[in-house]
Amino acid sequence: MMPIRHTGRTALLLGAALSLALPASAIAQEMGGTLKISHSTRIATLNVLSLSGPAEYPVIDMAYSGLTRIGPDSQPMPDLAESWEGSDDATEFTFFLREGVTFHDGTPATASDVVATYEAILDPDIPASALSVLDMIDSVEAVDDLTVKFTLATPYADFPTSTAHANARILSEEALAGDLTALDTVVNGTGPFKMESFDSANVTRLVRNDDYFMEGKPYLDAVEMHLFPDLAAETTNFLTGAVDVMLLVQQADYERIANSPGVEALRVPSGRYVNVVMRFDQPPFDDLKVREALAYAIDRQLLVDLVLEGLGRPAHDNILSPEFKYRIDTPERAYDPEKAKALLAEAGYPDGVQLDLVASNRPAIRAQVAIAIQQMAAPAGFDINVETMPHDTYLANVWRQGPFYMAYWGMQPTEDSTFNLLLTSNASYEDTGWNNAAFDALIETGRSTTVEAERAAAYAEAQELMLAELPYIIAFYEDVLTASRDYVEGYTINPINRYFYLENVWLDKE
Amino acid sequence: MPSAFRTATGMTGLILLTLVMGAALFGPLIAPYDPQAFHPAARLQGPSAAHWLGTDQFGRDLLSRLLHGAPSTVFFGLGATFLGVGAGTIIGVIAGTAGGWIDSVIMRVLDGLLAVPELLFALLIVTFLGGGVTQAMLAVAIAFTPGMARIARSSVLSIRTREYVLAAIARGEAASYIVMREVLPNAIGPIIVEATIRVAFAIMIGATLGFLGLGAQPPSTEWGLMVAEARQFMFRNAWTVAVPGVAIAMAAMGFNLFGDALRDSLDPRRSH
Amino acid sequence: MTFGYLVRRLLAMILVLFVVTFAVFAITMILPGNAAIMILGEHGTDEAVAALERQLGLDRPWYVQYIDWVAGVLQGDFGQSLRLSLPVSEVVGAAFWNSAALGAAALIGVTLVAIPLGVLAALRRGTAADLGIGLFSYIGASMPEFVTATLLLLLLAGPATGYLPAGGFVPLSESVGGFAAHIVLPATTLGLILIAHISRQVRSEMSDVLGSDYIRAARLKGLSERRVIRRHALPNSLAPAVAVIALDVGYLLGGIIVVEEIFAWPGLGRLLIYALENRDLPVIQAVTLLLAAVYAISNLIADIVIAILDPRVRYA
Repeated sequence: MMPIRHTGRTALLLGAALSLALPASAIAQEMGGTLKISHSTRIATLNVLSLSGPAEYPVIDMAYSGLTRIGPDSQPMPDLAESWEGSDDATEFTFFLREGVTFHDGTPATASDVVATYEAILDPDIPASALSVLDMIDSVEAVDDLTVKFTLATPYADFPTSTAHANARILSEEALAGDLTALDTVVNGTGPFKMESFDSANVTRLVRNDDYFMEGKPYLDAVEMHLFPDLAAETTNFLTGAVDVMLLVQQADYERIANSPGVEALRVPSGRYVNVVMRFDQPPFDDLKVREALAYAIDRQLLVDLVLEGLGRPAHDNILSPEFKYRIDTPERAYDPEKAKALLAEAGYPDGVQLDLVASNRPAIRAQVAIAIQQMAAPAGFDINVETMPHDTYLANVWRQGPFYMAYWGMQPTEDSTFNLLLTSNASYEDTGWNNAAFDALIETGRSTTVEAERAAAYAEAQELMLAELPYIIAFYEDVLTASRDYVEGYTINPINRYFYLENVWLDKE
Repeated sequence: MPSAFRTATGMTGLILLTLVMGAALFGPLIAPYDPQAFHPAARLQGPSAAHWLGTDQFGRDLLSRLLHGAPSTVFFGLGATFLGVGAGTIIGVIAGTAGGWIDSVIMRVLDGLLAVPELLFALLIVTFLGGGVTQAMLAVAIAFTPGMARIARSSVLSIRTREYVLAAIARGEAASYIVMREVLPNAIGPIIVEATIRVAFAIMIGATLGFLGLGAQPPSTEWGLMVAEARQFMFRNAWTVAVPGVAIAMAAMGFNLFGDALRDSLDPRRSH
Repeated sequence: MTFGYLVRRLLAMILVLFVVTFAVFAITMILPGNAAIMILGEHGTDEAVAALERQLGLDRPWYVQYIDWVAGVLQGDFGQSLRLSLPVSEVVGAAFWNSAALGAAALIGVTLVAIPLGVLAALRRGTAADLGIGLFSYIGASMPEFVTATLLLLLLAGPATGYLPAGGFVPLSESVGGFAAHIVLPATTLGLILIAHISRQVRSEMSDVLGSDYIRAARLKGLSERRVIRRHALPNSLAPAVAVIALDVGYLLGGIIVVEEIFAWPGLGRLLIYALENRDLPVIQAVTLLLAAVYAISNLIADIVIAILDPRVRYA
C-alpha cells in the first residue's frame, strides 16, 4: 500500500518512492530557505547511541550518516558505504566507503571511525540502543582506509539492515575517544545538515553542510525544530502557518488538517501496533482457549474506526504487517462474542473471567484501546477492569513484568528484528514467557540462510506457529501521519518513522 | 436562614452547592446511559434529544459521564479537605495546647512546609506516590495540613486564655477533657469556614492533577481528566471540553460562595 | 521588626529548604524507576539500563548521591541534568527568566485591572456594577488554570478566530512583538484568578475605609468627593492590597506550572513537569528550591511591607 497524500479536499494516490526516484534534473529544485518543523516531544539529547525520542530521530538523521540507511522502500540503501557484499554463509560482510567524505569539523571519515563506532556499540559499558540488532558481530576491522570487514559469530542475512539502525550512525574516532557525555550536546557527523544551536526547551537549528557527499544536496539552507508540548497548540500553530511541517499528526486532527487550505497531509501505512500482552505462565492466559476467546471478542474494524479515526488497517494478530516481504496471508478473525463465550466455557470459565488490564497513560492510545477492548469483550464474558497509570510507574512496575497489559511498538525493519525484539526466547524485550523452541529454531533458520526460498518457508512456518499459539493480540496496524505546507516539496517519511530524507526537501515559494 | 445566605451571592452559593451535591449523591442513579458505553454512530455530537449535552470521541454520553464523574470530583475535594483539616487540626491543637518547645518545633517545621506552594507540594508528592486518585487525594491532604495546623493553632491560642478554659484548668480537669470539651468546640468555627473554602481549592487541585495525568486515570469520569481527554477534540466539538470545564468551575464556585456566606454569618463584622 | 529577626527568618528558611530537598531525594530513591529507565524507555534492555545507571552515577547508594549533591550545591554547583545532559544551572537559569517575565506580566496586568475594579465595586456598593464585579471575581476564583486556558484557546486562538498564537515562545531579543503576542494568553490565564482575589480584597478594604470616622470627617470639612477618595481613601486601602499581591505570588507559582505546560512557555513550570516525568532529580531539586525560595522571599517582603504600613505590628 502506497502512502496517501491529501491535498485540500482531494485525496491523491502518489508513491513517495516514485517522486524521490525522479532524476534531480526533472524538477528544478529551488535552493535555499529555512524549513520549520514542529514537534511535541522534547529533543532531550543528541547522543546518537542511546537516544529514543520521536523528535530526536529527525535531528540525527540530518546530522549523521550510517554505513547504510533504510530507504523509503524500506530496503537498505547506501549511505557512508557506497556498496557492500556478504559471504554466501552470511557470516562475513564487507562495506566499501565513499571517498573524500569529511565530518562537519573537516576531519576525514574513514574505516577507523566506523570500527571505533561499532566497538562503542558493542561495549557493554556504553548504553547503545542498536546493540540488540548487532550483537552477532564477532569482530570488526578496517581492511584499508575505505574498507570495513565484519565477521559474525552466527550467520545473519539481514546484516546490511542492521547497520542501517537509526542509532548506529557513524561517529568520529576522536569523539569516541573523548568524554562520551559530550555526545549529548555536541554533534560532529557526516550528514547533510550540521548543528548550529541546540535548545531542548525551544528551538533546535541545523544549517546546510556544504561538503555533504551527495552532489547538490541538501537544497535547504537550514532546518529548525520547534517544540510545542501541547498538541492543540501545535496543530493550531501549523494551521496558521507558523511552521512548515508538523512532524507527527494525531489521528483526531488528521481530517481537519488534510481539509485545510494550503496543507498537504501525508498518511504512510506502517507496521506500528498496540499489542495485548498475556503471560503464558499465569492463569487464565496459560490456556490457549482463553487467549483465543479474547481474540474473538475484539471488533478490529471498529477499533480502527474509533481509536484511529479510520487511519489504519485491522490486523488479525500477525505481528508482521503487509509491508514485510515474507509476511503470509493471515486469516481474518471476525468479531464473534458467542464463539468467545463458548471458548471461555470450554476453558473452564462458563461464568466469564475477571481481569485487570494495565495501560500506561502515554501515549493515550494504549488506554483508549484498553477501554475499547473492555467494552467489546464484555458481552463475551470478559469482565475487564482497566487500570491506567503514569508512564514512569508503568515502565518500572508493569512493563515486561505484568500478566496482562497494553504495549505499543513501532515498526521494525526486518522480520528477524521484529521476532527477536519480542517473541523468541532470548528476545530483547521478551515479555510473554512463550519460550517456544520450534519457533526459535525457525527464526534462527530465517536469519542464517541467504537462500530466498528457505527464508520464506521458515518465516511462513514461524508465522503459522505464532498465529496458532497467539502470544499477542494485535488488533490493528497504525498509519504514520505527518503534514506539510503545500510549498514544501520532496518531503516524505518512512513507515519505520526513523528516517526523514530532509536532504531531498526544497521550498517552492514562487 | 442566616442573613448572609439571603444575599444574591449567598443564594447562588446555596443553589450551586445543592446542584453539585445532588449530582454527587444521586448522579450515577439518574444518568440516562452507561457512562462507558460506546455509541459509534453518534461520535462527537452536540446536544440533542438523545444526548442532552452531546457525546465524546467514542460516542459516550457526556451528561452521563458528567453525572458519574460528580462523586469522584466532589468527594475528592471533600475527602482531601477532611483528611488535611483533620491532620492539621490535631497538629495545631497539640501545638497550641502544649506550648513550649513542642510548639516551637512544630511551628518551625510548619513554616518550612509552608514555604512550598500548595500545588507544587501536591504535585511533588503525587509524582512520588506514583499517580492515581488515592495518591492525589493523599497529596492534597498533606499539602493542606501545614496551613490548617497554623489556623487551628492560632484559634486555640486565642481561646486558651479565655475565662472558661482558665476555670476548667483551675477546677483541675484533665487536659484531654479541656481540649475536647472547652477548646475544640470553641475553636472549630474558623476551622470549618476555612475548610469549606478549601474544598473548592481541593476540587480545583484534584481536577488539575487529573488533567496533568497524575490524578484520576482513564476510564475514570473525573472532570479534570475529561477535559484532558477531550482537548484533542475541542475544535471538533467544543462541548467535550466546555461541559466538564464549566462543571468544575460550578462546583468550586458553590463551595467558595457557601464558605464566604458561612464566614459572614459567623462573623457579621466581615460582612459588607 | 529588627535586623536580628530578619536574619533568623532567613536562616530558618535556608534550613527548611534543605529539609525539603532531603525529603524529595529520599522519597525518589526509595521508589522504583529512575532516570536511566525513563531515558531508554521501551528501548531499555537490562544491560543498557545498567550501563546508563553506571554512567549517570545512579548505581551508588542514595545517601552518597545526596551528600555529593549537597556538597556541590554548597560550592554553587547544582550538578548535571540527567535527562538534558546540560548543567542544571544553565537549564534552570534560562527557564527562570522566562517564568519571571511571565509572572511579572501577569502581576502587572492584575494590578492594573484588579485595583480599579475593586475601587469601583466599593464606590458603587450594592449596584449592578458591584454585583457584576463580585460575580466575575467568584467565577475567576473558581476556574482552575487549565480550564481557563482551554476556554481561552478555544475562543481566541482556534483556527476559526486565530487572534493570538496558541502557544509557543519568541525570545524578547528576537522580536518584541512576537514575545508580547505569545505572552498574552498565558499571562491572562494566570491573572484571572488573582484579579478575582485582589479586587475582592481592595473592595473590602476600601469599604472599611469609606465607612471610617476620618473619611466622614474629611467629608464634613467640605472636601470634594474626588479629593476624599484620591487623597484619603485610596492610599489607605491600597496598602493591604500590596501585601496581598506579595502573598499571591505563592499562588502564581503554582499556576505557572500548568499554564506554561499548556502554552508551551519554556519556563520553570514546564521544566519541572518534564523533570518529574523523567525522574531528573537534580533538576527537580533545583526548581523546587528556586520556587520555594521565591515564595519565601515574597512572604518576607509581604511581612516587611505590612510592618512598615501598620506600625502596630511588631515582631519579636
